[in-house]
Amino acid sequence: MRAAILTDTTKCIGCRECVIACKKANRLGPELPHRWNLEDGLSARAFTSVLEGPQSSFVRKQCRHCLEPACVSACPVAALRRTEMGAVVYDSTRCMGCRYCMMACPFGIPRYEWDQPVPYVRKCTLCFERVRAGGQPACTAACPTQATIFGERDRLIALAQERIRRQPEKYVAKVWGEEEIGGTSVLYISNVDLTAVLAGRPLDQVPLPERTRTAMQAVPFAFTGVVAAMAGIRWVISRRMQRQAEDGDE
Amino acid sequence: MSRVRRLKLVLWALTGLAAAVAAARFLFGLGATTNLSDAFPWGFWIGFDVMGGVALAAGGFVLTAAVYIFRLEGFHSLVRPAVLTALLGYLAVVAGLLFDLGLPWNIWHMIVFWNPHSPLFEVGWCVMLYLTVLTLEFFPVLAEDFSRLARVRRVLERARIPLVIAGIGLSTLHQSSLGSLFLITPYQLHPLWYSPLLPVLFLVSAIGLGTMMATFESHFTAWLYDRRPETGTLASLGGAARWILLFYAALRLSDLAVRGQLRWAWLAGWHSVLFWLELGLMALAPAALLFIPAVRASRAGQFTAAVIGVAGVVLNRIDVGGLAHAGRTGPWYLPSWTEIAASAGVVSAAALAFLFMVERFQVWEERPRDPEADPLQPPSLHPVGATWLGPPAVAGRTLYSLSFVLAAAVGLALLDPARAAGHGVQPAPVERARGGEVLWVDGNRDGYGTAFPHEAHQQREGGKASCVLCHHMNLPGDRHSGCYECHRDMYVASDAFRHDWHASPNGGRLSCRQCHRLGEPRSAASAQSCTACHKDLTPAGAVIKVRQYQAPGYADVMHRLCTPCHARRAEAVAKPDLARCATCHRERFVPPERRLAQTGEPGLVGKRLLLPPAEKR
Repeated sequence: MRAAILTDTTKCIGCRECVIACKKANRLGPELPHRWNLEDGLSARAFTSVLEGPQSSFVRKQCRHCLEPACVSACPVAALRRTEMGAVVYDSTRCMGCRYCMMACPFGIPRYEWDQPVPYVRKCTLCFERVRAGGQPACTAACPTQATIFGERDRLIALAQERIRRQPEKYVAKVWGEEEIGGTSVLYISNVDLTAVLAGRPLDQVPLPERTRTAMQAVPFAFTGVVAAMAGIRWVISRRMQRQAEDGDE
Repeated sequence: MSRVRRLKLVLWALTGLAAAVAAARFLFGLGATTNLSDAFPWGFWIGFDVMGGVALAAGGFVLTAAVYIFRLEGFHSLVRPAVLTALLGYLAVVAGLLFDLGLPWNIWHMIVFWNPHSPLFEVGWCVMLYLTVLTLEFFPVLAEDFSRLARVRRVLERARIPLVIAGIGLSTLHQSSLGSLFLITPYQLHPLWYSPLLPVLFLVSAIGLGTMMATFESHFTAWLYDRRPETGTLASLGGAARWILLFYAALRLSDLAVRGQLRWAWLAGWHSVLFWLELGLMALAPAALLFIPAVRASRAGQFTAAVIGVAGVVLNRIDVGGLAHAGRTGPWYLPSWTEIAASAGVVSAAALAFLFMVERFQVWEERPRDPEADPLQPPSLHPVGATWLGPPAVAGRTLYSLSFVLAAAVGLALLDPARAAGHGVQPAPVERARGGEVLWVDGNRDGYGTAFPHEAHQQREGGKASCVLCHHMNLPGDRHSGCYECHRDMYVASDAFRHDWHASPNGGRLSCRQCHRLGEPRSAASAQSCTACHKDLTPAGAVIKVRQYQAPGYADVMHRLCTPCHARRAEAVAKPDLARCATCHRERFVPPERRLAQTGEPGLVGKRLLLPPAEKR
């Protein structure tokens, strides 16, 4: 099963029940002081938030649980990994606090416990333990209007397309998260363009780990090549110098 | 006092300042000592210490390659100082990284937990291995002074060429991989800096910088110790450097042009200014200077070009490592003084180690003589007592430790206690709810609040008699004290009890014994509760109950006041929506004044009706 969440912003009334349910389920404490937070309401103590989108719509922000996550590819100690079911989760015992995941994420999701002397990275886990036990994430369970629902990814995409097909005048003909940067597990449909709210800029379909793959695959060849070239150059030049010295002697 | 001693005094002071910052950093955490935030997870420590530091240490592999691979024996005298700089530079990088890592004690995890997809993993491994190679490359210099280490030295000297080649390979990898780090951020990094060629650009600029750094070092230490600089050798090094720098500039510009991103460089804005400043400093200006033969051959010319080039590359690393992500990620970042002090201290410590090494070991062809040891120098005196401090070595130690301790003390005094505590909740003073029949409850005036039908609630609960359900009737002669009077901050508890007033004639001239029992320490904790005298504070049926002298935060208390009633009522009348957040928090609240200005819609402020201004005729 590939777990996913579909958020239909036309149904969201902005009640923030999901935010509160998330806080309770993850036992998140009081908010961090403002100077460490971005304006979007996410922080080390809030894994989801409800933003005001264009045309007084409400857009719920949370980790997108990419199918090919940039954070997982970036983490040097493999503290972040993608579970089989699709949740991108974090192992705090491995983390060394380099915060490269925060730089790498195109949605700016991972947040840091700046107020702690022993800080960890914090982000939505898709409530993966509840899901593994057969339940659903706290946020989708709390939604009073079914604006955000949990299910199998392919089924949710089919459902989203069905809704768009039925009411083409209501929806923008796009499922956000279906294809960009290789696809995400958290999907959106809406009556307005969500590109700016979700990522700040249009994303193309190339998965982000793909962009470093070429450079990283070249590493062993580059090393061998440089070492061989250096040894060769030294050998050639030394021989020439030796010959010159011999010529000079004669 | 000699130049060396003056410089060392400054370096020791900077190290002392950094020691104070380090204590705060490791005790209280990153939030207490840096201006980093979720918007700027990487700042000065990564940009300058780590990325800049690795680049500045590039002289080691560039000069070993020149001498041992390309057999340019003319540069031989520059190899040892360059390798020493590289070794100390990488140690400084590791020190800077320890400052920046959130969990520095886990740095060894990189050895155990592998993620070969991550460029940072590769950088980490290369730096570890290269540090080992550098130590082995430099060890023979140390061993020269100890006859017991002669055998180790012979072995290492025989292994020199393989070591040099391994060092070049490792440097190539991690210098370029520092650029690969940002291949994954195409959407965050500004297009003037983002390029698929980032690894190549980083490598080329590092090679160029290696030559600049060797030049800078040679001239600076020559000035410091009154040594003869290797001007002739450095002129030929500059001759090579200008082509590398020019190649870098051409590569960078043509890459941007080919990908059609060069238009960003002409757009007005600080990004394009920064881009040209950076490219000018790191490549164009030093290359242009080095193309003038007179400049290339002169001491001042070489030094100027080197300083400009070094500054430019450091700026480039800071840009890519954080600054060029700004504007695309939103808020702004300026390093705090603690961040800069820590970096300066790490660099100073490395510089002190460098000076120690060149004075003690055969790093240059001739060891510099200690200017202080000159018997004709006037003796050093204590800066305060003007007493004789003893022979030069002893005097030096006294002065340096004095400078270190003083600076550390200054640093401790300058640390912001509120930030050091790590929990700096911003004060958010609360103002009264506005309106008449309907109250706009928005204590901190941030526009998010709720419209509370005060009149309707009062009528439903039974008229005037119902005030006590929600309001404390605590101030004498007061019928209804507003919530804001005691709950004076949005989030933080404020003191509701006025001690001096209770002891004053107006407050009833209470004696101590009326609240504090005899024989117990007089504190808020041991005093008896307010309700002992104020019987009407929590009348029967009141929703709010006073438990303590501290009035909790306004937001907290308003929720506690409304939500229990609403929950009960929702169940009683079977309307679950009544207990939901959205019942009260319906829309962004626009204050009447602003709404009037925006839409011309009239609104109530207090009991005054605001009307649109009469049109002028």
